[in-house]
Amino acid sequence: MNREASVTVPAPRMLLSRGTRETLSNYTYLLPAAICLGGTVLFPIFKAIHMSLYQNVLSRPQDYRFIGLGNYLRLLHDPTFWLTLKNSLVWVVFSVGFQFVLGFGVALLLNAEFKGRTFYRTLNLLPWIIPGVVVGLVWEYLYQPNYGPINDILRRVGLLRVPIAWLSEPVYAMAGVIFANIWRGIPFFSIMILAGLQAIPDEVYEAATVDGASITQRFWHVTLPMLRPIIVVATATRIIWTFNYADLIFVMTNGGPANATQITSSYTLLSAYTDLDFGYAATLSVVLLVIMLVFTACYLKFTKGVESVSG
Amino acid sequence: MRTQRSGDLPERILGGPVLWTGLAIMTLFAMGPFLWALSASLKTRAELYATPITYIPVHPTFLNYVEAWTSRLTPFSRFFANSLWVSSVTMVATIVISTSAGYALARFRFVGKNTLMLVFLATQMFPAVLLIAPLLSQWYALGLVDTYQALIYSNFSFTVPFTVWMLVGYFESIPRELEESAMIDGSTRFGAMLRIIVPLAAPGIAATAIFAFVSSWSELLFATTFTSSTEMRTLSAGLLYMAGQYEVQWGQLSAGVIISTIPVAVLFTFLQKHLIRGLTAGALKG
Repeated sequence: MNREASVTVPAPRMLLSRGTRETLSNYTYLLPAAICLGGTVLFPIFKAIHMSLYQNVLSRPQDYRFIGLGNYLRLLHDPTFWLTLKNSLVWVVFSVGFQFVLGFGVALLLNAEFKGRTFYRTLNLLPWIIPGVVVGLVWEYLYQPNYGPINDILRRVGLLRVPIAWLSEPVYAMAGVIFANIWRGIPFFSIMILAGLQAIPDEVYEAATVDGASITQRFWHVTLPMLRPIIVVATATRIIWTFNYADLIFVMTNGGPANATQITSSYTLLSAYTDLDFGYAATLSVVLLVIMLVFTACYLKFTKGVESVSG
Repeated sequence: MRTQRSGDLPERILGGPVLWTGLAIMTLFAMGPFLWALSASLKTRAELYATPITYIPVHPTFLNYVEAWTSRLTPFSRFFANSLWVSSVTMVATIVISTSAGYALARFRFVGKNTLMLVFLATQMFPAVLLIAPLLSQWYALGLVDTYQALIYSNFSFTVPFTVWMLVGYFESIPRELEESAMIDGSTRFGAMLRIIVPLAAPGIAATAIFAFVSSWSELLFATTFTSSTEMRTLSAGLLYMAGQYEVQWGQLSAGVIISTIPVAVLFTFLQKHLIRGLTAGALKG
């Protein structure tokens, strides 16, 4: 007998056991995804917490031992860690701030009606979809002091006399990586805001026009308030993402020169990848995780719970 | 009634010169770096290091592509094949796993379903950096370092949450009655899902598949950390490896950049509509 087929016409006395069996079979649909996330996300997170309690430098296996909160104490007294937090703040504020403003501008442009809009939209998307390593390497080339076009153009228009090694000068390096990151992130905001703009019904604008509102008044009193939800979601997602995003810095400067571009997530990577200090890297991961969770919790509270996220 | 957008003077200026200037600047800014890489990839060695810099290759050549593709130190043909294999397997496996989970979350009632959805949402935001140290020691323990499996399994950590999240939405938009009537006709729940729901959700599934492929294709940190030999590197890891070699060969590197970009650019133009819908669905309420 086909027991799945008879579920829709249940016999009253069998209900409970059928129900239990059905629940079990329902859970099997989730099993592969649960195993995947368990093995590649949840277990590693617990593992990271566990690892953070040990001194564990791969190049010195003889020193492996339990040190309790030793790594966390070391972190509190590590000036580089505090420097990376400050750098992360600069990195996030300037990257997301400019991405938002410029992305908003691009969204307003793309919301106008003109021929070839889809074509322009696709071109505008390109910086966002290409691999991070490509972004990093191309910008490294653009900044290159002798053969890179940025120095060349600045010299041709007379703004520079001597070429600058943008990514090797501590003063300019952070601005350099942020600029590349802005270039990469503009499309994200423009897509989100464009979607928001297109969801505003025309009638609202018509009513405002009938009431004599000028285009600037319509922008401040109609467009912006109606975009508020999407702006909140987009900005919050972007802040978390940018805070954690290490690829670009890893490729372009590896945190240098002299930690000038070292953000907390790239520092985590450096500890694991270059120093092979897994205990400390895991400690940094746990701190990153906590910062992220706190931010997400505040954000969810701010937007009043799950409903506004899952929509 | 008046046509609504012909209004006052500032509006006409905004719709005319401002719009076209803005579009021109935007496009130049977005495309400039690509055009530079494309131009550099077609230059001869002498021209790459000549002063003053040229912006359009004087003697365009495909030599850089040929050299990058066949190089023994940084074999792009091998990197390309590795990327293709890792991304394809990740894509197929992700789709099987996520279709099943997405269907269950869309159709069945579970205890703690909302919490589970929140977990899927939150894991999307988990940074790869956070997982590097624990995953590497995990792959060491399992003897999987420097294998395709390590890369494919690690990629699940970001492909599965996003695709499940997107597929739940697609499945919810398909009426339940369709598979319920099939089940009355004697089909199993699983059979009904495969024969009725999956074909109807095919466009959504295809879009999430492309997403899984493209994001695996671009993945860098796992690919760099979990492989050690040159012949196991993917395009992203291979490009970084190449940039770290002796003196940077900008010509070959630019050719590599173009080779890695074209597949994702082509796929994304197909995916655009679906991706935007998936991205903005949460923020726009339905």
